[in-house]
Amino acid sequence: MSSTPLPPVPEEFRVLSMMHNIGAIIPERALTQDELAKWTGIEVGSVSDCLQRLRELGYVEHIEVNGVEKYHVTKVGIMKVLTLYS
Amino acid sequence: MKVAMATWEYPPRIVGGIAPHCEGLAKALSNLGHEVHVFTLDFPGAPDYEETQGIRIYRTRSEVGHPNFLTWVLLFNHFIEKRLADMSQAVDFDVLHVHDWLTAPSSIAIKHSLKKPLVFTAHSTENGRSGLHIPDSFTIDGIEWWATYEADKIIVTSGSMKWEVCGHFHTSDKKVEIIPNAIDLGKYNGAVDRWAVRARYGVQPHEKLVLCVGRLVPQKGIEYLLQAVPIVARYRQDAKFIIVGDGWYRDHLEWVANSTGQRWRIMFTGFIPDTDLVALTKSSDVLVVPSVYEPFGIVALEGMAAEVPIVVSQVGGLTEFVEHDRTGVLVHPRNPESIAWGIEHILSNPGHARWLTHNAKEVVQKTYGWEAIAKRTSRVYEEVIAEAVKK
Repeated sequence: MSSTPLPPVPEEFRVLSMMHNIGAIIPERALTQDELAKWTGIEVGSVSDCLQRLRELGYVEHIEVNGVEKYHVTKVGIMKVLTLYS
Repeated sequence: MKVAMATWEYPPRIVGGIAPHCEGLAKALSNLGHEVHVFTLDFPGAPDYEETQGIRIYRTRSEVGHPNFLTWVLLFNHFIEKRLADMSQAVDFDVLHVHDWLTAPSSIAIKHSLKKPLVFTAHSTENGRSGLHIPDSFTIDGIEWWATYEADKIIVTSGSMKWEVCGHFHTSDKKVEIIPNAIDLGKYNGAVDRWAVRARYGVQPHEKLVLCVGRLVPQKGIEYLLQAVPIVARYRQDAKFIIVGDGWYRDHLEWVANSTGQRWRIMFTGFIPDTDLVALTKSSDVLVVPSVYEPFGIVALEGMAAEVPIVVSQVGGLTEFVEHDRTGVLVHPRNPESIAWGIEHILSNPGHARWLTHNAKEVVQKTYGWEAIAKRTSRVYEEVIAEAVKK
């Protein structure tokens, strides 16, 4: 495996991975788009696009807390992230 | 013996082969009368502490997170170390057993503070998995070396992995013990309604089902199987391909599948529950393991236990338990033509395929049960404990 460099990791997967590493893996630790943008250093617009795709794929879930939209990684999302590291 | 086992994955947190390995080993050690304490990471819905089948499982939440992966690893190691230290006040552990580099920092720290022997199971290496192309990989490689340096004994699951560890980390071969992986054979004994299972995945009774199971990552070589699909289809209009698993490489693999012109034959299921996977495996006509890097290759062993003929790459640990044309078919890695040949060889010779599965099942039953593997692991524990007493 060591002869060729790996292809780049897709952007939404990087966001998913960072959400996981921050600890947003349960509803109580869900984060807003703004918080995620701050944590990851990625623009809010890009974060929003990534979250949309991740939700469609079932890797991220969306909840509403006091009228505020928040996001956390699902169980399947956690398993998806961990494939990057094993 | 009182064993403290550290692993970043333990059911229901399952990434690859480490979780089932740790669970199988922990259960078998417990059945032998050892007291097993497993220290691992939390998972949504799983309790922070539970006792099941004599195993005590401590799932630790990392109270602080960080978007950088390696920083996150150091943080969760800190919390696992704290939990291990807390538990060591109540339990006088005899030996520490760490699986892979991810929980190595906490285990090494505890080794020194408790002055207990450390066993390290190296399931794979970063160099083998991904190559050392990015700074993170060099750091991981360094931690793996550190674990091999600190361990009193290193366990690997195959001869090829021993060669890799000794060569890459300059480890003495006397320090490395080969103890193969094992599987829970009982899982494959139940009856399955083969036609109903296949129908759920859109496979008709007259069609041939080619199955591939694994994380969707480059080292599993799934793109080469996908490239073999149009070659197989030239001779086999009735072949369907199911890819079970998920991973960061999935987008690329779906793109490869689309480019074959045979997309309708290929289904990606994502992760599926273990019971469904056993039923699907038992209902398949052939299981393909097209890996380009495989320290052991437990999925092939599972196919052998499920009595499904296997076609596997001639790499790593696979070549050590699959005998060509006696217990399975070995094909050239990264070679779609060779993979297609292997699949056709099985599908066009049903009598021969049955003979292969019969031989394969016999090998699995004789050699790869958990009890035997746990006994060998216990002997490693006894050895390092005896050495520690001498020091």
